[in-house]
Amino acid sequence: MNTLHVNIFHDVLLQAISSLKENKLRTMLSVIGITIGICAVMVVGTVSQGMKKYIYQELETYGLETLWIYRKWKDDNPFQVVRQGSGINNDDLEFMPSCCASVKQVTPVVYSYRNRVPLHSKGNFTNANLEGVGIAYVDINNDALSLGRNFRQGDMQRRNPVAIIGSKIRDKLFGAHTNPIEKIIRWGDIRLTVIGVLNIKDRDILSQLGKSDYDVNQRVLIPYTLYQQQLGSKDIHTLQAEAVSVEVTSKALSELTALLKRRHNYHYEYVTESMDIWIATAEDLLQKISFIGLLAALISLLVGGIGIMNIMSTSVVERTREIGIRKALGAYRRDILLQFMLEAAVISVIGGVLGMLLGIIAGFGISYLSGYDLGISWSTAFLAVLVSIVVGMLSGYYPAYRAASLKPVDALRYE
Amino acid sequence: MIQLHNVYKAYQRGCLSVQVLRNVSVSIKKGEFVAIMGPSGSGKSTLLNILGCLDTADSGSYLLNNEVIQGASEDSLAAIRNHWLGFVFQSFNLIPRIDARHNVELPMVYAGVLPAVRRQRALAALKIVGLANRDKHIPAHLSGGQQQRVAIARAIVNDPEIIIADEPTGALDSQASHEIMHLFQQLQVSGKTIIMVTHEDEIATFAQRIIRVNDGEVDSDIHNDQDKNVKK
Repeated sequence: MNTLHVNIFHDVLLQAISSLKENKLRTMLSVIGITIGICAVMVVGTVSQGMKKYIYQELETYGLETLWIYRKWKDDNPFQVVRQGSGINNDDLEFMPSCCASVKQVTPVVYSYRNRVPLHSKGNFTNANLEGVGIAYVDINNDALSLGRNFRQGDMQRRNPVAIIGSKIRDKLFGAHTNPIEKIIRWGDIRLTVIGVLNIKDRDILSQLGKSDYDVNQRVLIPYTLYQQQLGSKDIHTLQAEAVSVEVTSKALSELTALLKRRHNYHYEYVTESMDIWIATAEDLLQKISFIGLLAALISLLVGGIGIMNIMSTSVVERTREIGIRKALGAYRRDILLQFMLEAAVISVIGGVLGMLLGIIAGFGISYLSGYDLGISWSTAFLAVLVSIVVGMLSGYYPAYRAASLKPVDALRYE
Repeated sequence: MIQLHNVYKAYQRGCLSVQVLRNVSVSIKKGEFVAIMGPSGSGKSTLLNILGCLDTADSGSYLLNNEVIQGASEDSLAAIRNHWLGFVFQSFNLIPRIDARHNVELPMVYAGVLPAVRRQRALAALKIVGLANRDKHIPAHLSGGQQQRVAIARAIVNDPEIIIADEPTGALDSQASHEIMHLFQQLQVSGKTIIMVTHEDEIATFAQRIIRVNDGEVDSDIHNDQDKNVKK
């Protein structure tokens, strides 16, 4: 019985293909709906997978192990007496990272509330994101120096007026191809000596999406001790740290938070941030985009399915006599059902494969036009073909059922 | 072999019910060559369709090889047609887009015969009907007589006991008609039972027995005196 089934299946498949060959144009026209639907699925899949890859790359450039801690300001409760201070100070740094097993290194980040700070150099002017940082900052942020050196212990202790500048600051103050090392930048009364230039960070989707004022390539880094002196406070606004590994970021955060709370007698609450939330936000966004895209794809697949149902109904009517012959010769209902459903599935798979190829081409097109290397989502391609088979079988079922239900004597009499 | 007893059959034409067969009883023995004759609308085709298990009677009983046909399911009728019956039609009823061999293979496909065996038996059947070298031709490239011979090859390929032929020469010239009738006679000699509907007296003379149907009833059932049979 089993061989019988395989036997008929194979034979019926050949029959289906031969009858489709006979009507090439009609077959092609009827698959367009499926083709467009599958193409849409492929494009959505490629774009969302490509964007995901891209966003992960983006997050990598900041380091997935990176995390931030800052004080929670109780703005939401106007009656609570606001305690002065940022809740993190220089003394706290002495215990870090040695106290916290999951923390590799930390850096203070001191900044002004006026985010953009005006800087001059020999008549050139620019606004910069000025940050007072520690030695570990460059390493934690996955930054590298294209020129010069990093800060040293002495710069921190002696509050040396030295600066590491972003590439855009270099371009604006000194020109793109000049070496700015040992040159002077004026920040109010202070004369900062340039000791290093940061590599350009081209993957910068986060700062584009988020804080619009912030541009990684317009940073000017100075020793945090120097900035604190200018601000007249020992406060550290944000503590940035690097966890030992991605897996322990939340553990590192709780260790640091616990230490800070204990050291400040539980006067302060802290806010923590890590790349987790960015990943979650990005994935959420992508999911929404994918959902809308898949909805559109589903509608075109539905239209494609109706197209197949239409063409199969026509085919059943045209081949009534053939159905009669086959039944007269001993075909069971299920043989006829299988034949027409398989035929619908074959049409659908042709449409699906065409759609997949179009989708791949479209994916390359989008990659090329957007400048992002999105890659091809093979899992989506596989899914697309699977979906097209299912659509074909479902929409082929009703016409096939009608064919199978024909009485042989009526089918044979049909002219 | 065939016992049809008190069979009635009516068709619904619009709101009118037309009684096509009335109290028809026929029995046919193994190896007989029977012609069913009658004017158009007499019910002869309906009778043949019922005998060929393509249609079912409203009432009465039908025994085929001691098997009760009346009330059998559609699929079991399909299996009976496949194993015991071979069909030859007026308009040949070959599937147009597949070649002669594949047309002949069809009954074996539904019988579950393996492809290699199918091929071999189909070629053998084509040889019997004298079309050994036409196996790769599609029906459109064959003459009417050749197409009917392909149909006969298809009818005999599962080695059925009964050949059901509905006006097998209706679309053929007299020479081709005689060739087909000679083939039928050969089949009878080899032991097949043949039941044929025709309205041509001359064709009917090839049969041994002629059943005349008129207005839904059996008019006469006679042995053919002018038997053209060339029994050896």
